[in-house]
Amino acid sequence: MTEPPVRLSVNGEPRSLTVPTDERLLDTLRQRLGLTGTKEGCRSGDCGACTVVVDGHPMLSCLTLTHEVPDATILTIEGAGRDPIGLRVQRAFEREGALQCGYCTPGFVLALTGLLTERGGVADPSELLEDLSGNLCRCTGYAAIVRAVRRVAEESH
Amino acid sequence: MGFALVAPNTVAEALALAAPDAAGVPLLLAGGTDLLRDLDDGRVAPTRVISLRRMPWRSIAWDGGSATIGSTRPLRALELDPLVRARLPGLWEAIRTVGSVGLRQQATLGGNVARAAPASDLLPILLAYEAEISIVSAAGPRRLPIDRFVLGTRRTVLRPGDLIDAVVLPHGGPSSYVWQRVRPANDISQVGLAAAFVGAPPSWRIALGGVLPMPVRLASVEASLGKGLPGPAAIAAAGREAAERAPFASDKRATEAYRRLLVTALLRRAVETVIRQAQGGASP
Amino acid sequence: MIRSDSRPKLDGSAVYGVDLREEGMLWGALVLAPASHGRIRRLDLSNARAMPGVAAVIGPDEVRALLPSRDGDRERPAFPRSEVLYRNQPVAAVAAATRAQARAAARAVAIELEPLPIVPDVESVYPEWPADGAPISPDVIAHVHARHGDLARCFGEAEFVHAETYRTSGVHQVALEPHACLARVDADRWFVRTSTQTPFGVREDAAEILGIPQERIVVEGTWVGGGFGGKGSSFLEPYALLLAAATGRPVKLQLTHREEFLLGRTTLPTVVRIETAVREGRMTARRVRLLLDSGASLPGRDFATGFVIGFLLGPYRLDAFEMEGFGIRTNKPPFGPHRAPLTPQCVFVEESHTDSIARRLGVDPVEFRLRQVWREGDRTHLDQPVGPFGIEEGLRRAQAVVREWRRDLPKDHGIGVAVGFWSTGTGAGGEARVRVGPTGLTIVQGEREIGSGSVVGGLSRVAERVTGLPREAVRIEYRDTSEAPYDSGVFGSRTVGALGQAVEKAARRLLQGIGERLGERTPVSLAWHDGRVLVVAGEQRLELAELLTPEERAKGGVEAAGRHFGAPGAIDEGRVVTGSFYPFNDFTGSVAVVEVGVDRETGAVTPVRVASFPDVGVVLDRALVDGQVEGGVVMGLGTALTEEMLWGPDGRLGNPHFLDYRIPTLGEAPPIRIDPVEGFRGAGPFGAKGVGEPPIIPIPAAVANAVADAVGARVTELPVSAERVARALKLL
Repeated sequence: MTEPPVRLSVNGEPRSLTVPTDERLLDTLRQRLGLTGTKEGCRSGDCGACTVVVDGHPMLSCLTLTHEVPDATILTIEGAGRDPIGLRVQRAFEREGALQCGYCTPGFVLALTGLLTERGGVADPSELLEDLSGNLCRCTGYAAIVRAVRRVAEESH
Repeated sequence: MGFALVAPNTVAEALALAAPDAAGVPLLLAGGTDLLRDLDDGRVAPTRVISLRRMPWRSIAWDGGSATIGSTRPLRALELDPLVRARLPGLWEAIRTVGSVGLRQQATLGGNVARAAPASDLLPILLAYEAEISIVSAAGPRRLPIDRFVLGTRRTVLRPGDLIDAVVLPHGGPSSYVWQRVRPANDISQVGLAAAFVGAPPSWRIALGGVLPMPVRLASVEASLGKGLPGPAAIAAAGREAAERAPFASDKRATEAYRRLLVTALLRRAVETVIRQAQGGASP
Repeated sequence: MIRSDSRPKLDGSAVYGVDLREEGMLWGALVLAPASHGRIRRLDLSNARAMPGVAAVIGPDEVRALLPSRDGDRERPAFPRSEVLYRNQPVAAVAAATRAQARAAARAVAIELEPLPIVPDVESVYPEWPADGAPISPDVIAHVHARHGDLARCFGEAEFVHAETYRTSGVHQVALEPHACLARVDADRWFVRTSTQTPFGVREDAAEILGIPQERIVVEGTWVGGGFGGKGSSFLEPYALLLAAATGRPVKLQLTHREEFLLGRTTLPTVVRIETAVREGRMTARRVRLLLDSGASLPGRDFATGFVIGFLLGPYRLDAFEMEGFGIRTNKPPFGPHRAPLTPQCVFVEESHTDSIARRLGVDPVEFRLRQVWREGDRTHLDQPVGPFGIEEGLRRAQAVVREWRRDLPKDHGIGVAVGFWSTGTGAGGEARVRVGPTGLTIVQGEREIGSGSVVGGLSRVAERVTGLPREAVRIEYRDTSEAPYDSGVFGSRTVGALGQAVEKAARRLLQGIGERLGERTPVSLAWHDGRVLVVAGEQRLELAELLTPEERAKGGVEAAGRHFGAPGAIDEGRVVTGSFYPFNDFTGSVAVVEVGVDRETGAVTPVRVASFPDVGVVLDRALVDGQVEGGVVMGLGTALTEEMLWGPDGRLGNPHFLDYRIPTLGEAPPIRIDPVEGFRGAGPFGAKGVGEPPIIPIPAAVANAVADAVGARVTELPVSAERVARALKLL
């Protein structure tokens, strides 16, 4: 199906993409733009590995049709370091060693970045932790991730 | 693969596009969280999909205690709304059990209602609040109480060409949604129970999810609770009534016997929470 | 920085198997058998070949044509020729231009099966326990039997015999990253990039399946998004290589998460009967019988039965024992390794049973265990000498924690203790090279980091300790199988213990060589200053660069190699009636204490806090040890409470997705206190023992014991679900 191009801003770069109607944002990012940092997990919205920030909110890119977010501003893990909140989150994860295999890490970083962005950069750690229940991790037992979330929340006050 | 995807700008446009034609019935896309999974599972293979993202149904309006919730307002927006939390506490609790934050950014009340899944966490509280579903169609608007809107497992009165534009909760007030799952987060409920004490004068409404063919109100349980705020004996009797009457079945998440056990405990907890709210206690 | 691999994982640049891309690549898809058991009457690839974008469709005939050096029905053909043994068994494969096209074509392959009887579970083969001396069912692919001492007399003289039956469920590794690889065949070089725990193992497997020499296969590992045993052998690689050979193009093959569950080779269900004779407050003798669901394992390829059955006897001194295990072939995917394969389940059985004996006697459960738990110098049941073993110390520390937690224990809360022990895979050997130059030290080896930190951290810590260099001065260099020294793989908690010994030897050799250049008798170490390596010998401190020849400086420094290949332990074969038993390589303990709260109305169990006492030998990196304990404990809680693969009588898996196969979420992880037990030396460098697996082992048992402590009712099945607790409480 030939569709008019979708305009997106991805990590600060404007993009104009011709994309099939049934294409997921996850695949647009990974296959079309080569931004493989956003991970493919369950593809059904149950693991959070595909989380990106869309217009300041954490969203599941596996359940988002690219055509449904025209003109959106998208932040992926590749751009997180240039986002002030994303950078704080990355640093906290690094400081706490809040990763092992790293596969869930982009999803967690973007989920946390989105949650903080929604709250203007300041948040209560227990709210953040509750809101992260949709991001699964199999390696860390979450303990170091919890420490990283608390660190980011503390630094924000 | 591939379908034509259109995002109409006005309700009139949407209605025109939603009408079935020679190509068949177009599918409606609200949040997309269910539709996309159905696409991947091969359960649907539409040639046309109509996106409702431009519809003017994303706000919530209050009129005294009554709330008119736009059908495509994301669940996350409702979750973050302090008025929803204060005035419709059971709905707020129920929304927070749906999937995850990421899912709730996209998922909508209208989508959940239209899907009419028996394990829906939102249908029981909507039943308890006697919600009404507002439908627009080429033939004009109509409104149905939710217990006449849902007809069975994944079946509603919606006909091709119908669009839900709002869910109306005629009265707010004390309510609670309680549930039991294998895992507390990101899971489907084995049993969900909504209790509300609303209306003028307020009366008990008890609705159950995780039953077949669809969530239902339990009139005999409501009667057991009596008028006013019940004491422990009446609550216990209502719990036994619920265990006996609820149309449970066994599935991979729980056996029928276990669901009957759960409902008694859940009923007591929900009713006690509502009593505390009604007596001027805190909302959740 | 706690982890040297943080940056690529935090900035999105780490390439995993799923991220592999190559110019001109095709996508592969597997054709999966539609039923659990059947004779293949027809396999028709023609429809699939005609579909858009399809470059090749291969079945058994095409594989035979591709591999002329191999004759037909070897033990491990790529695709079955005559019989399907489990639902979703790969029967053919497709390569096409896009992933969607490949999957659509795979669905278009027509396969007709003549149904054969399905063996869905062990109970259908043995609804009752096999009678002594009765002929063994043909569905038994592994039979092990050992005994020692006068069991009959112990049972006869017992004050009581405690007898119970336990059941455990199938559980899946659930790495977040699905299996994925990308293969390319040029001339006679078969090249595959893949996410794997065992690059050399993949090479060996692929050589066997393809019937070509190992030297013609090159395996290059990517970052791994979790293995937990599920990536411990080849899986997709042979298929990808065959498709690459058939098409002359690079081919990528990747599973969906649904397929990970459907095809996964993992822990399968068991039924265990355990009986213990008790006299004068002691367990005198124990008899265990195990029915293990081996899935569609081939006879002779079962590793589990003879390995795990020893754990069912427990680490306790007994006067007599008998253990008998049956590995039973069912129509499920073959049994495969998980984290500490099947051992959390066996310890759940044994430690629940031992705990219930203690309660029956009215003896404190920790005291009871201390009476008989193994110490160094004791003999195992198959007569191996017990090495330095930290479980007695772990139990004593656990005792203190139990007392502390009991002081303010709320109503309907309970505390459970369990002892796990493990034999790490340090018998599997490996080699490494260590090179030092003016700007740092490099460990050259053939493993990728799978997440635990054992490669990027553990090996580095060994080299740092041997040489005196700080971590900034050490880097790990990965090479593919054509260039790296051989290593067995990252599994069995063996990386630091085995490959680490190779690194240690190489580093010591390096220092020795440097010392010889100085003519020094005093030990030489290295230091780091301003980004340069210094050599320290007594009072002397000089730049390493000064000791190197110009050729050596051009090559990046000097290198030494080390290898470790352990000698396997020996059991007393006189105690074996039949079958193969695996000797223990070492004795790595793991004691855990768990507090739970139980909802008496619904049976729901909530973990409140956990204390873990891993027998680590020596802590080389506390943050990495903590990470393994935290991860293992939470994975153990999943096994204990919510994880269960649900198969129907037709062999169909009913919950092949994250929604109904439930791993713990963030909110379910309780606080974990970690108290590593040091001083009971392992064979690894500086006495280190592996820590990847031991922490998970005692958790399901500790949870079950905590539930029993809380409500006086015991669940003898895994997972300890709310519904099962409700039944144990007689609410249902």
